[in-house]
Amino acid sequence: MSTLSACGSLQSSATEVGGERMTDNRPVRDGGTLTVALNADPDKLDPTLAQTLVGRTVFAGMCEKLYDVNEQGKVVPQLATHEPEVSKDGRTVTFDVRKDARFSDGTRLNADAVVTSLLRHRDLAGSARATELGPLKSAKATGPYSVKLTLKQPYVPLTAVLADRSGMVMSPTALKKYGKNFTNHPSCVGPYRFVERVGGDRIVVAKDPNYYDAKDVHLDKVIYKPIPDGSVRLANLRSGDVQIGDQMVPVDVKSALTDNKLRLFNSPSLGYQGIGINVGNVKGLGQAPGKVDTVMAKDVRVREAFELAIDRDLINKVAFQGMYEPACGPMSPASAIAPGVKASQCPKRDVPKAKRLLKAAGVKGAVHVELKIPTTPEWSRIGQVIQAMVKDAGFALTLRPTEYATMLEETDNGQYQAFQSGWSGRLDPDGNIASFLQTKGAMNAYGLGNPEIDELIKRGRTESDPAERDKIYAELIRKVNAEHTLIYLYRQKNYVVTGKDVAGLHVYGDGLVRVKDAGYVK
Amino acid sequence: MAKYVLTRIRQSVITMFLVSIVVFAGIRALPGDPALALAGEERSPKALAAIRSSYGLDDNIVVQYGRFIGHALQGDLGNSSRTGLPVSDAIAQALPVTLELAALSLLLAIVLGVGAGVVAAVRRGKTAEWIANALALLGLSVPTFWLGIVLVLAFAIAVPVFAASGFVPFGTDPIDNLRRMVLPAIVLGSGLAAVVMRQTRAAMLDSLSADYVRTARAKGLSRREVVGGHALRNSLVTVVTVLGLQLGHLISGAVVTEQIFVLPGFGKLTIDAVFTRDYATLQGVVLCTSFAYIFINLLVDVAYSVIDPRIRLGGAR
Repeated sequence: MSTLSACGSLQSSATEVGGERMTDNRPVRDGGTLTVALNADPDKLDPTLAQTLVGRTVFAGMCEKLYDVNEQGKVVPQLATHEPEVSKDGRTVTFDVRKDARFSDGTRLNADAVVTSLLRHRDLAGSARATELGPLKSAKATGPYSVKLTLKQPYVPLTAVLADRSGMVMSPTALKKYGKNFTNHPSCVGPYRFVERVGGDRIVVAKDPNYYDAKDVHLDKVIYKPIPDGSVRLANLRSGDVQIGDQMVPVDVKSALTDNKLRLFNSPSLGYQGIGINVGNVKGLGQAPGKVDTVMAKDVRVREAFELAIDRDLINKVAFQGMYEPACGPMSPASAIAPGVKASQCPKRDVPKAKRLLKAAGVKGAVHVELKIPTTPEWSRIGQVIQAMVKDAGFALTLRPTEYATMLEETDNGQYQAFQSGWSGRLDPDGNIASFLQTKGAMNAYGLGNPEIDELIKRGRTESDPAERDKIYAELIRKVNAEHTLIYLYRQKNYVVTGKDVAGLHVYGDGLVRVKDAGYVK
Repeated sequence: MAKYVLTRIRQSVITMFLVSIVVFAGIRALPGDPALALAGEERSPKALAAIRSSYGLDDNIVVQYGRFIGHALQGDLGNSSRTGLPVSDAIAQALPVTLELAALSLLLAIVLGVGAGVVAAVRRGKTAEWIANALALLGLSVPTFWLGIVLVLAFAIAVPVFAASGFVPFGTDPIDNLRRMVLPAIVLGSGLAAVVMRQTRAAMLDSLSADYVRTARAKGLSRREVVGGHALRNSLVTVVTVLGLQLGHLISGAVVTEQIFVLPGFGKLTIDAVFTRDYATLQGVVLCTSFAYIFINLLVDVAYSVIDPRIRLGGAR
């Protein structure tokens, strides 16, 4: 990943948008309040129960993790003092934690707190971390600051998992005091401590004097403000009411290019967006795949023809002004662990071949397909573009815009032919593949059941040699793409727009806005 | 009298009970599983089952209703399934925002609408009437969202007199409060002002050609006394009736305005709750609104019966 440190302000040429700016190291002064506009209101401020990406951005300000992600997308220690030591059989993991860290309630961080938090993440009813910490058999404090984890089987993605919410350590005192209500009194180790939350309006955090690196925290306060509409977020940035706009969409970034008071930060994302095709989901998630009676489900050649009729570059140009990246696999090329296929290597549109495949499959007349899409302007455009493209190959595509919660219910239950399927992305490849593509995957809404894919997923999870793991995932992508069940289309980029007087911000591939070092320029 | 009031209270309680059932069942009839909406991206059958269990979503609907009504009767509207915050707190925080927005919009609509309506009627056939009519047409036709963005671009960015978003309570900082509320009030009030203008104009035209106005003129009263003291006073009866009818629209129209100006009001709370299938918040919001309507109706009926004894006869006989 390259960082174009020479990137100027937004008003400079549009070609700069293609580069990446993830940090800004201009010196900053102490004091001040920063308002960050988020694209949604976060859910619960409890690391165990939280589900939203936008919530992770708020946590980045107040809940440090055992490990973090750096600019290169690599895992680095945060509350842990070193990389985890893994036993030869891969079933025991040990690490130490900082001795100088205190939670925002003033109590000390130690190994017991880590054990309490990890077991809560694994066991609490409704925990969103239960699946990723499923392989954790036990956790023990082997010293005041030393932790030993025992696993049911070797689990290579664990370090990456501990670099996300599963690695957030909560104050056992606060957990005991507030119980279920911890979400309204979150207490972790972090540069800022929770002050108040007004639902739908703001989350306020203030500099935490207990933080081990408090002398390097410059801002007095950070206010997170949900502003769902992109153009309203941009208007607030322009008026100076907010200083940071998170998750800006290309059309707004483009229109901001004329404003010399604003700066653009961007980084490639680890997620993907695509189209899922129902090939065997007849009974719902978690059930054995069955027979779906559609031409697309029955013949892989028809699915391949559908994919070959789509021009990924054109979708990127028409719907996103060329500011996202075409994608043809579950892993981002920007991932430091087992990078995926580059956008330039994605298969090109080939209508004659698509027609030949349909002919070989014995298809007569147009293939009727219904595609469920979200009710967003972007997907309306994408849907129409795809509709026109696949028509050339012989598909009659109907679009069915469906509200998000309804679409989730219908697609999870198998009531669909094709739908928009996306994922915000995880650092470790396993987090972008296993739940979706293995036969018993918790989110295999496609009904895919391929024993070879299952076996490769299993090997990828347990193989500790990075070079060997790379090979496994390369093979896995080939197998997955040959199924044409999940047609990857594009990868978003994380666009963050800030006021020009704000520096010290970090925006990495995990899509989080890090404000620990942020402040107003001197 | 007491018997009539008691009857009306009893009817109101029954209505509230029926409303609570309709609200409860109606929300659950919405497509989209709340557990899925809550779980978002990271859903698995195990996690979904845990969510359903922790919010009692896997219970029989009658059991769920019993639990809900039992808590509601004790003043507990539950906690938001999405944020975990108490629903009563969310409502208490959102209500003043929407009420202030509605009050300011109403004030604006009355001042602008009545003023323009009077001018249009008095200056009939002149340029002033043409301008007032054109403005009313604009007020009715311009989409709220577009007007909001244009006002922000003009008065919060190009000429930064007002703020683009957010809410500060009037008690905390009155100036900052008005800086943030004027633009939303203009956006919300413009449509109503147009309606009020048209209504005032029509009523004024009627009044100005009425006999009592001719008599007032014949008596040698000044133009100001004739227009203000006689014609306008009589025209206002119709205008006030229209304003009353439009109040509901004002509250529902606040939904879009609150989204544009990021005001944490009732409309925004409702929309967020619908999209996340936040049953507790949605039930709380709808119940509070219904309660307010029923309570106001009750008060009005009782007031009528005090003013005009003939009204209570129907109920008391």
